[in-house]
Amino acid sequence: MARMGSDDESRLIEQSLSGDPEAYAVLVNTYQTMIRNLAFRMTGSLDDAEELAQDAFLRGYQQLGSFRGGAKFSTWLCRIAMNLSLDWRRRESRRDHIHSQWAADVVPESSPNGFPDELSRKVQTALDRLPVKQRAAIVLTVYENQSHAEAAKTLGCTEATVSWRVFAARRKLKQLLKDLPHE
Amino acid sequence: MNNAELDSILKRARLPAIPEESLALFPRRIVGQLKRPSLPAPRRRNFWPRLAWAGSLVACLILAFAMGHWHGRTQTEAVLANNSLANLKLIRETMAMFPQRVRAIVQDDQGLKLVLSDNADVPVSAPLYIHICDGKHCSSVVTFSGQEILMAGQKVTVLEDASGGIILEGNKFIWSSTERVRADGAWKIQVKNLGLTAM
Repeated sequence: MARMGSDDESRLIEQSLSGDPEAYAVLVNTYQTMIRNLAFRMTGSLDDAEELAQDAFLRGYQQLGSFRGGAKFSTWLCRIAMNLSLDWRRRESRRDHIHSQWAADVVPESSPNGFPDELSRKVQTALDRLPVKQRAAIVLTVYENQSHAEAAKTLGCTEATVSWRVFAARRKLKQLLKDLPHE
Repeated sequence: MNNAELDSILKRARLPAIPEESLALFPRRIVGQLKRPSLPAPRRRNFWPRLAWAGSLVACLILAFAMGHWHGRTQTEAVLANNSLANLKLIRETMAMFPQRVRAIVQDDQGLKLVLSDNADVPVSAPLYIHICDGKHCSSVVTFSGQEILMAGQKVTVLEDASGGIILEGNKFIWSSTERVRADGAWKIQVKNLGLTAM
């Protein structure tokens, strides 16, 4: 991700608010990898992650007037993407419940899905097995390096709830990943 | 496996590479969508109606907090009254005697103990009072956010959240003063943020 000064970022946000989509494209280009990675951690699929990231940027553009600069623009975008991911997971859970047998037949568990190595695939499989809110807490605190307070703002819950979700998620992940070599 | 080892595994996990072509085309695709006449342009938001709502909400919250705080204070102060750690002067003077070295002041069945760090590396923060009874034994401690202490035979990490609440995280439990999250059923825990009282 190319680094951008906060003045440049503020100028691009102002231009976007004045109806200049090309200015917004620069912001999209800067933050697309971060948002697509976050969406991938939440969905486990490159295609779904791309679709979610697209929705996040479109929603971000429409809601740009509500961005007030109190938080970083990247954190604000991250919050939109995470909320969309949580909605997506809820929809998927309902669909999976209906089509669970069909899905088990067509998606073999060993599907490599383009992971660079076995450890990466196993970690994502373990993340996929966490309840969605626990997964969101881990994605934000471990991969996005947010503090529990920041993650609480992103998820719209209290810091104690985030601490509890991280605690519960870690306990499950330790169990799921116990066979992997650790340093 | 401890938390640091788990984090190391999680962070070593890489993602499938996004194709270069996709990265190059993605912003153009977004712009294409934005230029559609059906998509409404962003609007600067008028905050006044929201501000009025927020003002009313804050007033209600302050009232609720004041009532809850008064109720919680009476309970914890009853415990503090029978406890040497209630002596805020003692705590203040101990901290002044060993600047940034006091990790905890513990009071249990065996008396009062001072836990000091070898170096002056304890971050300056509000002292936190914790009282735990496990059914057989009780112990009280004054410590600081981020410190790991041994209480009722368990290692417990003490954390202070942004609102001054206290979170206790052990190997097999987590407890928060601001929310009814999980605690060990046999334990009775009372806490007080001494930074919120006059020291």
